[in-house]
Parts: sequence; structure tokens; C-alpha cells
Amino acid sequence: MDKSMLGDLGSLPEEDQMRMSAMIDQIQIRDSLRMYNSLVEKCFTDCVDSFKRKSLDKQEETCIKRCAEKFLKHSMRVGMRFAELNQGAPTPD
Amino acid sequence: MAANNVADNIGKEQILEIAKSEIELKVDLFNRLTNVCFDKCIEKRYKESELNMGENNCIDRCVAKYWQVTNLIGQLLGPSQPSM
Repeated sequence: MDKSMLGDLGSLPEEDQMRMSAMIDQIQIRDSLRMYNSLVEKCFTDCVDSFKRKSLDKQEETCIKRCAEKFLKHSMRVGMRFAELNQGAPTPD
Repeated sequence: MAANNVADNIGKEQILEIAKSEIELKVDLFNRLTNVCFDKCIEKRYKESELNMGENNCIDRCVAKYWQVTNLIGQLLGPSQPSM
């Protein structure tokens, strides 16, 4: 998620822009931390099923890496589309 | 004069608080939308780390539909709801 998804701040007076910007930064930091934890949970749930050993085997490790990369790419694409819709741009069907 | 300034400041604070709530609403919407569309569009077997064309299309359409649902429900809940 980035600021462009949230609309146009440029029309506000500068002091307000700075306050809004700082507030958005704070929200983004909190959101990144939340995303980190939820990604760990998601990939663990999808990739790890057996507990015969304490450490991850090669297959599990590969799965986790793919899961995380895939989710991040997915999240970026969603962000793009979200920003378009947020700005009211018509999108192809 | 001073009273007017105080009133202006309270008004501005309220407006910024409302703006903050709206931003948090959008962030929550984005997060839920991302999770829902991931579950609906991406196979859990993770054969590869790239998104294929089918997944890309699914994501685009899922996001668009989720957005429509958000607006629809916003309308149904009443005109006082923030519209997207």
C-alpha cells in the first residue's frame, strides 16, 4: 500500500499536508508490521504440515519462499488496481 | 477574534480526525481485499513464485468486484456512510 492509493493531499494547506503525511506514515509502519505477521501465519499454514523434525525441510523452505513472493506480488497488483479504482479510473472488464 | 480562531481550530481537528478514520477504513478495506482475493485466486500449492496470466486476470476482476460490493453495501446501509 502506498500513499497514492489514498487520494490527493495536494489541495490541503501545507501544515495539514505535513500532519496528514506523518499520520499516513505511522499507519503504513503499523500496517507493514501487521502484514509481516500475517504473511508468516499464512505461509506457515499453507506450507508446513508435518512435525517429525524441528527444522524445515527443503520442500517446506521452497514452498515458504514461493508463498511469500507470490503474496507480495499479488499485494502489489492489488495495490495498483485499488489505486485506479480509488481515483475513479474506469477499468477494462 | 480569539473565539473564532478557537472554533476554527476545533473544526480543523475534527476534520483531521475524520480524515484519519477514513484513511484507516481504506487501509482495512485494502487488507481484507488483499487477503480475500489471494484466497480466491491463488492456488495454495505454490508451484512457482510468479503470478501467471490467469491469476493476474482473476486478481483484477476480484478487486473490481470487491470494490463494487463495498459501494453497494455502502448504499444499502444508508447515505450517511462514506462512499468509495
